[in-house]
Amino acid sequence: MKIGRQIIRPTLVLTAITVASVFLLSHVERLAGPIIIKRARQKQEAALSLVLPGYIVLSSRTIAVDGVEFTYWEAEKKVENRTVRAYAFLTKGTGYGGDMVMMAGVDEKGEVLGLSIISQSETPGLGDRCLEVADRETLWDHLKGGIPERDFSDATRIPWFQNQFKGLDANEKIQIVKRGDWEPGMRDGLLEINAISAITGATITSAGVVRGLESGLDRLRRAREAAAAEQTGGIR
Amino acid sequence: MEIRVFVTILLSTIFINNYVLSRMLGLCPFLGVSKKLDSALGMGLAVIFVMTLTSFITYPIYKYVLVPNGIAYLITIVFILVIAALVQFVEMAVRKMSPALYQSLGIFLPLITTNCAVLGVAVLNVRSGFMDHGTSLGLMKCMVQGLGGGIGFTLALIIMAGIRERLEIAEIPENLKGAPITFITAGLLALAFYGFSGMKI
Amino acid sequence: MNYWKEFAKGLWEKNPQLVLGLAFCPTLAVSVSVSNALWMTLAATFVLVSSNLLVSAIRVIVPAHLRIPIFITIIAGFVTVVDLLLEAYQPEVYRSLGIFIPLIVVNCIILGRAEEFAQKNGVFLSVLDGLGMGIGFGLTLVVLSAVREILGANKLFGYTLIPGMEPALAMALAPGAFFTLALMLWAMNAVNSRKKGR
Repeated sequence: MKIGRQIIRPTLVLTAITVASVFLLSHVERLAGPIIIKRARQKQEAALSLVLPGYIVLSSRTIAVDGVEFTYWEAEKKVENRTVRAYAFLTKGTGYGGDMVMMAGVDEKGEVLGLSIISQSETPGLGDRCLEVADRETLWDHLKGGIPERDFSDATRIPWFQNQFKGLDANEKIQIVKRGDWEPGMRDGLLEINAISAITGATITSAGVVRGLESGLDRLRRAREAAAAEQTGGIR
Repeated sequence: MEIRVFVTILLSTIFINNYVLSRMLGLCPFLGVSKKLDSALGMGLAVIFVMTLTSFITYPIYKYVLVPNGIAYLITIVFILVIAALVQFVEMAVRKMSPALYQSLGIFLPLITTNCAVLGVAVLNVRSGFMDHGTSLGLMKCMVQGLGGGIGFTLALIIMAGIRERLEIAEIPENLKGAPITFITAGLLALAFYGFSGMKI
Repeated sequence: MNYWKEFAKGLWEKNPQLVLGLAFCPTLAVSVSVSNALWMTLAATFVLVSSNLLVSAIRVIVPAHLRIPIFITIIAGFVTVVDLLLEAYQPEVYRSLGIFIPLIVVNCIILGRAEEFAQKNGVFLSVLDGLGMGIGFGLTLVVLSAVREILGANKLFGYTLIPGMEPALAMALAPGAFFTLALMLWAMNAVNSRKKGR
């Protein structure tokens, strides 16, 4: 009797409560789940079009490099009757808050076309500024109805930290310098030395992104070699 | 290479992303148990133990039970129940096996269930990608993060207790006593800890 | 009159953070910007009101020694609802609130109100109590976040205030949160002790 009252009954009551709440939650999930999946896909597509501007994506592949899954996309575009190829890939870098997932695009000559950070958990106010968009509209402007000549094009909505990766040479080592927040005027000076300007107070985050990009480029090279070897093998 | 990764996780959870002073987790025990140095040490050790154990146990539950069945959205409800049961179990085990240890640590254990740093480390392990498919040595990374989180918490708690024992005899304006002065001290400590954020590992 | 009292006590007289000394973790951590603070208030108030409602509705049938695990399960259920809805419909908010959405479960206000109030009072009163406490929590959070966003990021609601001015970064980081909350607690103590002295 004692066992019944002390163990079995509480167990049954708790189980009933848990089952009821999980049952209700599964309905909420059925509502929200597809939207979450759709958003994730949209996010990936947006990132793809950002890191492969103007290119048409042909195919995507996921293969194992060093025992780690590696996903990359192949794309091309026509420039003056010539087809230019480009590649995009997913890669990870380590910051202070764990892994940062990012996507980067590079063309056949090794010029970085763009970089987009997909997920990160860096310190708010420091490392998490890698997603900060530089915006010149002030609160007063906004209350007055916005700046009339404000540029709403997508180019200005790219976080400044990611914007500076465009045009870097992937075949050479990417330097990290400390020149404060990046702005378009700094582009030429930095590209000359193949460098990015680190986020103030978050050098490790900036370095993590660069390391992630470099390891991704390395994996891409090996993945393409493996794919090429496979193809010639198939023909033979 | 992998050793460097572990050292990075450990040092960054202790110093750079200190759970109390930078992530601002576990503030209730930080305020409540930081009056005396020895009770701060006891609480800290209990938290280190529970956080490491939580990381160890939530890893297989998430990776091999929740994700394969497509119910990863239930993590909040599952993790909090697991932590509550775990703390209860540890309390019983400690009481049975070592009454002396129970005398010094046991009283802190019930407080730990609602310590947000413990649930925090479990959720952070998921969010920082350590439990993702294809992450090598994920279990070790989770446990190192749990260990580091606990050590960081203990470090902050002990420093705070040391300062507060002296503040007891200082003359502070009446209205600043208690929580306000503790938060000012915590702010100064947090400023000092930001000195670590440029540290290269 | 009684209804109004139960609602209004959370705003000032028993303000969760400044008087009861609860829920410092989410208060300090999400007060980086006013919009974060408002979304956090909405999420926590939703959980608080729903759990108060359910707890007071089933208060007669809950066995006394099992109440804590049952309350925690109920609260965790509502938190998961908030978590899923935010991830689906407000992904930006979901990202910037981060782990503090699941951590609403261990927010002491919610379990505290279930224990202290909802399991002893009727449904309607419990909802009012939850609403008042939620808004009181939000008031402190919004004031704190406004100070931090203005000083720490030179922004308000995400818009720059004075172009070209360098903000005090420390205010956007943890130290700023600790200092600002300490000043608010100090002010609250001063006001209350003056009232008592009179």
